[in-house]
Amino acid sequence: MAKEEDVKEKEQSSHDPSRRKFLKGVGIAGAGAALVDKWSLEVEAQEKNPPAALSGTVSLTLNINGENRKASVEPRTTLLSTMRDYLEPAVTGPKLVCDVGTCGACTVLLDGKPAYSCLVLAVDATNKKITTVEGLGTPDRPNAVQAAFVEHDALMCGFCTPGFVTTISAYLTKNPNPSLAEVREACKGNFCRCGTYPRVFEAALAAAKNGKTA
Amino acid sequence: MQQAPAKKKKKIKVPRVINGIETMVEIEVDEDSGPGWGPNDKHTLLNHRMTRVDGPLKTTGGAKYTYDQRLPGMLYARILRSPHAHAQIKNLDTDDAAKIPGVKAIIPAPLKEVRFAGAPVAAVAATTPEAAADALRAIKVQYEVLPHVVHATDAIKPGAPKVVDEANENNLQQKNKNGDPAKAEAALATADAIVEAEYISPRIHHACLETHGIVVDYRGGNTATVYASTQGTFTIPEDAAKELELPQSDVTAIVQHMGGGFGSKFGIGTEGMFACRLSKQTRAPVKLMLTRHDEFVMAGNRSASWQKLKAGVKNDGTIVGLQARQYRLGGIGQGSQAGQPYIYRMGDTYREVYSLHTNEDSSIAMRAPGHPQASFAVESLMDELAYKIKMDPVEFRKKNLRDVVYHRQLDRGAKEIGWAKRNPVAGGNVGPLKRGMGCAVGTWGGGGNNQCKVDVTISRDGSVLVAVGTQDLGTGTRTYTRAIVAEEFGLQVNDVREEIGSSKLGGANSSGGSTTAASLSPSVKDGAIKARLLFSEKVAPLLDNAQPGEITFSGGNVSAKGKSVTWKQACAALPAAGVMGHGEWRQDLQASGIHGAAFAEVEVDVETGHIRPIKMVHVQDGGLPLNRLTLESQINGGMIQSLGMALWEGRVMDAQLGLQLNPGFGDYKLPGALEMPELVPIIDDDDKREAVIGVAEGCIIPALGAVVNAVFNASGVRVRELPITPDKILMGLMNT
Repeated sequence: MAKEEDVKEKEQSSHDPSRRKFLKGVGIAGAGAALVDKWSLEVEAQEKNPPAALSGTVSLTLNINGENRKASVEPRTTLLSTMRDYLEPAVTGPKLVCDVGTCGACTVLLDGKPAYSCLVLAVDATNKKITTVEGLGTPDRPNAVQAAFVEHDALMCGFCTPGFVTTISAYLTKNPNPSLAEVREACKGNFCRCGTYPRVFEAALAAAKNGKTA
Repeated sequence: MQQAPAKKKKKIKVPRVINGIETMVEIEVDEDSGPGWGPNDKHTLLNHRMTRVDGPLKTTGGAKYTYDQRLPGMLYARILRSPHAHAQIKNLDTDDAAKIPGVKAIIPAPLKEVRFAGAPVAAVAATTPEAAADALRAIKVQYEVLPHVVHATDAIKPGAPKVVDEANENNLQQKNKNGDPAKAEAALATADAIVEAEYISPRIHHACLETHGIVVDYRGGNTATVYASTQGTFTIPEDAAKELELPQSDVTAIVQHMGGGFGSKFGIGTEGMFACRLSKQTRAPVKLMLTRHDEFVMAGNRSASWQKLKAGVKNDGTIVGLQARQYRLGGIGQGSQAGQPYIYRMGDTYREVYSLHTNEDSSIAMRAPGHPQASFAVESLMDELAYKIKMDPVEFRKKNLRDVVYHRQLDRGAKEIGWAKRNPVAGGNVGPLKRGMGCAVGTWGGGGNNQCKVDVTISRDGSVLVAVGTQDLGTGTRTYTRAIVAEEFGLQVNDVREEIGSSKLGGANSSGGSTTAASLSPSVKDGAIKARLLFSEKVAPLLDNAQPGEITFSGGNVSAKGKSVTWKQACAALPAAGVMGHGEWRQDLQASGIHGAAFAEVEVDVETGHIRPIKMVHVQDGGLPLNRLTLESQINGGMIQSLGMALWEGRVMDAQLGLQLNPGFGDYKLPGALEMPELVPIIDDDDKREAVIGVAEGCIIPALGAVVNAVFNASGVRVRELPITPDKILMGLMNT
């Protein structure tokens, strides 16, 4: 079970992506995520003859788009996978594209700050307010960024779009009057393959002009 | 069976471009064919800027892609890949893996020999993604490792490991030869200047953000539903049905939204084969999406190229001859490369084309297969020839292009980029940050074919539905499908709803070869015209029994003989089932043959070798532009993907290990926000053809050559191997 203090302890050490990569990589799981560090040597030793003995889940509650959502996941399960593969119903706005923090398609807001949800363990996100693209607006009531993306055709296949919309929505809250150079800088952690960048920039600048983002 | 009586035909005149000359030609159409599109500048919706109708869903996370499907009891599947570039699988021990809680099935790959690193060895299905990943690690595979070769320059040497049985001892297969070698040789002897050079381009990854994958919803019954990330809704049921041993008609393919294909997604693929077999075995729904690493090493790519060209030119700019030896580098596959000379007239030419094999996964189609490779080489060559005889590269191109459409496009692009400001001396600008410009042209077909069956239904409450099984890859298919029908009835885009992406709807072609728009829109238009006729007959009593031809539809009103009723009032006169027009393809509503010209301006830092793209221009024709807004986006996308090929992208292989060194977005450099130049997409409205033509592929071809040539003009360094990374610039500067 993920106790309060476990969560705190994990929080302190969770910002290094390599840690999560380690957790995800070695296929360990255990009673409490806080035990992970203590166990890591043993686990490494066991890696050659692994995982059947090391399975287990933790129950947790995530606050997503203002709702408390319960899930039972392994300590190594990412926030992204928890939203997509474990919550019922699933939250699928954030996309799984690279799963190693290189593309930005899974971007969510943690307490208002953008984060790659593939680099955050679900157990590390329990005491945070999580906002996904679904929480920013709806087709009938889009936020200014979402509306501008449609207006300026800042999307084609749309798979990178939730990430860009989330990133830019957060950025405009921080900087309501950005320059083009600042918008580019804000978008540098998000990849698009269809080639929508110029119109993403246009949309971001137009949304800033129209105000009211998040 | 009784044959349908042959339809009466009539002859009509339509504008076409033939041998570069725009002319009216006569074609035959059914006598009862409806009207055509009319002049391109007379539309109320088409050829305007329409926001895409799936935009609101896609921007708010509501669009459900294949990757987003999650079904009750669904299993997660993963593929185990070979770590060796060439090996025999001697033993596959799955005992430990099968014991992992949650693992439901493990199946071996059908082949026992792997010929590239990343080749599928086995697949597992488990209740969670984590259990599936654990199972992969617990499978023990015994390989007999065999010799491999992954670099083309090694593969062509005598004694290199043999990659495919069909090739000779140099791993070559001759694909074709063309022209008279003696004539070409004689022509070159008459030249005032000769350029002989080798041009090399690496493998390019599609890098679709949604990886290849499929969700098979089969629970042991008589039917199955297959969600697929595919460019061809109708390429799915047949193969899936075979694997599931069901009648094809009982397998439904669903493709509501898909996250990029660029030529790589047709059929169920290896992943689909595994997913179907796992689902059949477990009688549970199975989801198999490739991981990003899988996607890089086993999902196909644009073939690399190696071209040896020798051309001769007269001082007046006339090219007299060309000799070309072209290697298509498609791994274990054949690769693709357009034959030289690409586009330009080059007098007496001779070419030999070979596939040169390496132990890498087979290349597959990628946006304009084979064209960017050929274009890069020939546009570099053209530039080298132009500099050699000191002729302006734009004028030199026009001199060797018969097609006048290119001439006007080159002039237009030159004006937009500011070609007049260009320093004709390569590397001639002062200071360490040197700017330069380059240009190139491209071509494509883009015609349609007769596969789309479209139903346009108008209901008594005034709602309008257009239904066809086609797919929208992000090209805007949904939007123009609505717009064609809306325009026919004088309605707005959002007064019409479209239903697409299901094999249970009317047939449609795959989105390959830029054929979707020219195949689909004629059928949509035909369905709308037929629905309009039926509709007109039903509402005639409201309008003094006007003839169908007298009734007009405009601004949400239906009018004739000085009378006018609203759309809703008119629809109320329909029978309970409404009216439905069934649309079939009409050849006269589409055409083939497009042109593009691209220009680029770059800045090269000759102290670091860093290249900064400043501005790119692409002029593109394509008959009737269905939607200017989304067409411009598509042109932008072509320029950006072209820019990626020029400066950053390329697979890197390790010769010893036979492994790809950059199988992820961290190391395979995609174009990003910081690198974006100013992009100017220009729709060539001088193209008056009243016909729909696909342009997706045309848009990716010429910008590559334009960037490469701009780098030379800026720096004076001719880099003949892509991508043009800073080290190559610095090496070049050192050697000049």
